[in-house]
Amino acid sequence: MASHAPVSIATQHNKAKTGLALRTDDYDQIDSTVRAVLRDVLGLSEARVAGFNAETPLFGALPELDSMAVAGLLTEIEERLGILIEDDEVDGEMLETFGSLVRFAAAKAPR
Amino acid sequence: MLRFGPATGPVAVVALPLFEEANRTRAFAVTICRALAKRGVASVLPDLPGQGESVVPLADMTLLRMREAMEGVEAKVGTVGRPYAVGIRSGALLNPLGLFFGRWHFAPQEGEDVMRDLLRIALAGNAIPSGSSIYALIGSNNPVVIAGNPISSAMAADLQGAMLYDEPGVPLRTVRLDTDPKPADRHVPGTPLWRRAEPDNDRILAALLAEDIADWIATCEG
Repeated sequence: MASHAPVSIATQHNKAKTGLALRTDDYDQIDSTVRAVLRDVLGLSEARVAGFNAETPLFGALPELDSMAVAGLLTEIEERLGILIEDDEVDGEMLETFGSLVRFAAAKAPR
Repeated sequence: MLRFGPATGPVAVVALPLFEEANRTRAFAVTICRALAKRGVASVLPDLPGQGESVVPLADMTLLRMREAMEGVEAKVGTVGRPYAVGIRSGALLNPLGLFFGRWHFAPQEGEDVMRDLLRIALAGNAIPSGSSIYALIGSNNPVVIAGNPISSAMAADLQGAMLYDEPGVPLRTVRLDTDPKPADRHVPGTPLWRRAEPDNDRILAALLAEDIADWIATCEG
């Protein structure tokens, strides 16, 4: 069972200090974390989520992703990335594609 | 109440999470209990008032009453064996009152985190108006039905201030999934089954946790 390490607290602090933009490897880590959360919350296979790209449609296209699952999905993303998502930020656009969800999470990640 | 394993010795008193997550983790908890029995450790899996087969409506429940019920289970188990609390997720909030010999928690949640989850599910399911805060749950005159579970304002208020038991001198062990960055005595690989809409099981994780519980109880027993 593959797992993905959360962004370490130390890394977050360093980024906060230096004010650096999100590095490519951090973005890759957020991408793989969001992928793992979709697998775990929706019960999708490893192969299926591995095939997701930025244009893969999510909300409305995955029958598993109902409003209850959205709640679980957001909470898991928050916990694993150490971010906070306000409920009024959640809209159809951020959940439209895999790419939009990763971009949303990356924008919330400490840098 | 389901019972597993030998009639004497230490007994793991297993608490399922509150509300919807109980349905999603029941089969998993039974698998852990069976794995404990194979290791010679007894366990019980009670339905507390408001849970599972209980005839008491959840709408009438508060966290305090559920904690008192768990204290009753502990007292009963304590007449035949040495009770240890095993709490899964918010089930870890249920054991502060009993005189347990020790507490073992898997992916435990503070009450505030439970309320945050409930609020989000209530908002996603349109159980409360969009833009509502937790006070829509704490201040409601009638129980708010969240994913099929009626949550009273008294339950919500109890939960918002509920903390995990952690007193010096009483053995406590916390295990979390390795995808969970919160501090723990051990992080293990596995699936967060409590997030799955369809109840599922993870036998490898259940076996690993049963081994951890059995080893830890053995250490506590000296």
